[in-house]
Amino acid sequence: MRPSKRALAALGLAAALLAGCADAPAVSVQHSVALVAKSTETEFWLSVFAGARAAAAEYNLKLTVTGPETEEDYEAQNAMVQQAVDDGAEALVFSAIDFTNTAAAIDAAAAAGVKVVAIDSNVDSSAVSTYIGTDNYAAGRMAAQAALDRVEGELRVGIVNYDVSSANGQEREQGAVDLLKESGRARVVRIINTLAEAQHAQADTTAMLQQYPEINVLLAFNEPTSVGAAEAVRQMGLSDTVFLVGFDSNVATIDGLQEGSVDALIVQNPYAMGYLGVESAYRLLTGQGGGMEDVVDTATRIVDRDNMFTMDSQKALFAFEQRSE
Amino acid sequence: MKGRRVSSTGLRITTILVTMVVGVVSVILCCCIFLFLDRYRSAMVQSAQTSSAQAVSQVSNTVDNYLSDMEQAMRLVEQSMTESADARDRLLNAFLTFRPDVVAVTGYSAGGALLDCWCLEGEPRADIGQNLSFDQQQASGASGAYLSAPHVESIFEGYYPWVVTMTAPLPAGGETAWVSLDLSFASISSYINNVGIGQRGYCFLMDKSGNIIYHPQQQLLYAGLKSEDTAALAALADGSHANDTVIYSLTSVGDSGWRVVGVSYVDELVNRNVAEMIRLSCLLAVVVLAAALLTSWLLSRLLGRPLRGLADAMESFETDADHFAYRPVGGTREVQELSDSFGHMVLRIQQLMSTVREEEVNLRKTELKALQAQINPHFLYNTLDSIAWMCEQGRNDDAVRMVHALARLFRISISKGHELIPIRREIEHAESYLQIQKYRYKNQFTYTFDVDPDCLDYLCNKITLQPIIENAINHGLDLLVDEGRIEVQVRPDGEDILFLVRDNGVGMSEEQIDAILHRGPADRTGIGIRNVDDRLKIYFGKRYGVRITSELDVGTCVEIRMPRVREGEYETK
Repeated sequence: MRPSKRALAALGLAAALLAGCADAPAVSVQHSVALVAKSTETEFWLSVFAGARAAAAEYNLKLTVTGPETEEDYEAQNAMVQQAVDDGAEALVFSAIDFTNTAAAIDAAAAAGVKVVAIDSNVDSSAVSTYIGTDNYAAGRMAAQAALDRVEGELRVGIVNYDVSSANGQEREQGAVDLLKESGRARVVRIINTLAEAQHAQADTTAMLQQYPEINVLLAFNEPTSVGAAEAVRQMGLSDTVFLVGFDSNVATIDGLQEGSVDALIVQNPYAMGYLGVESAYRLLTGQGGGMEDVVDTATRIVDRDNMFTMDSQKALFAFEQRSE
Repeated sequence: MKGRRVSSTGLRITTILVTMVVGVVSVILCCCIFLFLDRYRSAMVQSAQTSSAQAVSQVSNTVDNYLSDMEQAMRLVEQSMTESADARDRLLNAFLTFRPDVVAVTGYSAGGALLDCWCLEGEPRADIGQNLSFDQQQASGASGAYLSAPHVESIFEGYYPWVVTMTAPLPAGGETAWVSLDLSFASISSYINNVGIGQRGYCFLMDKSGNIIYHPQQQLLYAGLKSEDTAALAALADGSHANDTVIYSLTSVGDSGWRVVGVSYVDELVNRNVAEMIRLSCLLAVVVLAAALLTSWLLSRLLGRPLRGLADAMESFETDADHFAYRPVGGTREVQELSDSFGHMVLRIQQLMSTVREEEVNLRKTELKALQAQINPHFLYNTLDSIAWMCEQGRNDDAVRMVHALARLFRISISKGHELIPIRREIEHAESYLQIQKYRYKNQFTYTFDVDPDCLDYLCNKITLQPIIENAINHGLDLLVDEGRIEVQVRPDGEDILFLVRDNGVGMSEEQIDAILHRGPADRTGIGIRNVDDRLKIYFGKRYGVRITSELDVGTCVEIRMPRVREGEYETK
C-alpha cells in the first residue's frame, strides 16, 4: 500500500537523522610519548622537560622522560630508545648524542611504527618527521659575533666544544669558525673537545689556557662546557682579560655574567623545544601532521651584562616555574 | 477502469491529508526548535558568563585578601623599623619564617641605596649590578605603597626567583626611607592555578595597562609559545565580554590596580550543550513527525477508504443501473450519511427508470390500439364490399371463406388483449390477411409460407407480419405488371428467431426505406413498420427489430429479429 511505503521511507529517514545526530565524538585514547634526552642534569634539559610536561598535560599524553648519565653515552641512549619502543611508546621526542651512531636505533623505532620528532640535536635518519630547535650554525655565528662586537683588536680564540660526534655542537663550531674567518681579525688558536660535564670542562679549559696564554676569547658551546669554562676563567683570575661567550642559562653562568667571568650568553629556548616537540608528536599521532615543517627554529638571543635584566632577557634566562631538581 | 479513475481525479485524500499534516507539523516543529535553540543558546551564554564572572570574582576576592594581608604585613614591617636593630631582626626573621612567600625584605635610603636586607637564605651580593626590586623614580613618584611588575630577584647570588615587589615609604626622619617586600608567586599561583572555568578555561592576573602579573601558563608566554591579547583586554571594562569563541570576564582587585581576567571557551561551555540540545530536539522532532504521519495516515484511511468504496459503488451503478444492488458502506458518520443518501438515490433512480419504461410500453400499446381502431373500419369496409360483390355473383363458397378469414383475422388481432402471441397464431393472422387481400387483388400475386416447425411455439409480438405484408402489397406489388410473389420465412438464427418477408416488387430507394422506418404514424393509415420496430425494441432491446434491404426492380426483403421467448418467459427476462 502506498501510504505505508511512504511511512516506511519517513521512518528510514528519521533513523538516518538520528544516526547522524548520535554521531558522538570518539573518546580519545591517551597516547604515549617518550622523550629521550641527552642528559637529565643540566638546567637546559630540566627546562626542556618542563615544556614537554606542559604540552603532555595540555594534550593529555602519557609522557616518559629518560636520558643517559653522560652526554657521550650514545649506546645508553640507543638502549633507551629501544626500551621506549618496547614499553609501547607511539612517538619519540629525541635529541641525538651522536648524529650517526644513534641513527640505527631511530630507524628501528620508526620501523616499529613509532613517530620521531627531533629536538635540539638532530640525527642522521629519514624517519625524523620534524626537527625543533636552534639553528645551530646561526647560533655559532651569533656567539662569534658577540665576541667580535665586544672585543677590539685581534681575537685569539679558544673553543671549548663537547663531543665531536654531536651534530649541534659541530654545527655551532662551524658557524663560529666561519664567521671568525670572515672577520679577518680573528684566529682560532685551539679547539678542544671535552666531556659535557662542568668539572671536566673546567680542567680541560684550564689546561688549554695554560698552554695557550695568548687566548683572549673563549667560546663554549653548551651549558656544562660554559659552566666549566667560566669556572676556569674565574679561578685563573682571567675574568678581565678573557672574553667568554657561553651557551644557555645556568645559575653559575648568570652569576659569572654579573661577576665578569662570563661576558655573553647565547640563550636558546629549551622550554619551547620540549613543548613544541611533544606537541608535534601529538599532532603526528592524531593525524594532524600534514603541514608540518621540516625544521622549526626556536628563538635564540644574545644576553650580556648590559641587557641581562631587560624584561625579554629575564624571560629568556630565568625559568618562571619551580623546577623539580 | 479503476486505475484510469485514480490517475484522472488528482490526489487522493490520503496523500493530501498526510502531506498537509506532516507539512504543518514540520513547520511548527522547525519554528519551535529554532526559537527554543535560540533562547537556549543565549541562556547558556548568559549562564556561562555568570559562572565565569563568579569564578573571577572569587579569585579577585582571594587575591584582594592576599594583598590586604600583605599590606598588614607591610605595616608590621614599617612598625619594626622603629624598633631597635636586635628586636627588628628577630621580628623580621619570625615574619619571614611565618610567610614563606616573602622572599626578602629590603630597606632603602633616601638616595635609593640598599641599606638592609632580611631573608632566610643567602646574603645579597656585595656588588649588585642592578636591583630590579627597587626603582627610586617610581618610589618617589608614588604617594603610598605600590606594587611593581613581575621581575627576577636580582640581589642574590645563585638564586633568581620571580617576584613582585611591594614598596612603601616610611615616615620621614628615619635613615630608611622606603621598605620593600619581595613576594614570590607561590600563594598567588596556588589561588589562580586551581581555578578552572569549564575544562579549558582559566584565570590570569594583569595590571591596569595590560602587563601580565601572573598566568597559569606564564612559562609558555615567556617562551613565546602563547600570547594573550592583553592590550585589547586592558581596554575592556569590568564584567563579561563574549565573542564567538571566547568569554572574557574581568574584575578589578580592590584598589591595587590589578585585574583578574577569566578566559572560558564558548565552544566548551555553550556549543557542546547546544549541540546536545540540537540532538535531543531532532530526536523529538522525528518522534513527533512519525506520530503525525501515523495519525494522519490512520485518519485518512478512516475517511478515504469508505469514500473510495462509495465511489466504486457509484461507478458500478453507472455501468449497469438496472441490476445494481447497493450495499451501504461503513465509516464515519458523514460517510454513512452520504452512503445512505446514495442508497436512497439509487432506489429512486431505479424506480424512475422502470416507470419510464412502463410508460413507453403503454404509449406504444395505446398507439397500436389507436391505429387498429383507425385501420379496421377501412379494411372492413373494403373486405365487406368484396364479400357483398361475391354474394351478388353467387360465389358463395368464396364469400364464406372470406368471412372466415376475416373473423380469424380479428380474433387473432384482439388475442384477449395480449401483446405476445405464439408464432403459430401470428402466421395464421398473416395468412388470413393474405387470403383476403388475394381475393381483393384478384389473384394478382401468390404467396408462400416457409416456417420452421420448431419456431411455432415461441412467442412474438402480435401484428408483426401484417404491416410488413401490407407494405409489400401496397408499395411492391400494386404497381407491378407481372404476377407478384410474397415469401414469408420463419427460422431460428442462433439464439434468435428471424422472420423474413420477401417480395419481387418494384423495390424501394434508400430514402423510402428511411421514411418507412422513421415516419411518424400521424400521416398514414394502418400500423406502420416503425410501430413494429418500436415495439420489438421496447420489449426485447435495441439489438432486435426490423431491417429492410431493397433493390429497385428486383424486390424487397424485410428482416425481423426477435429472441426466442416461450410462454411465461418474457417477464423473467
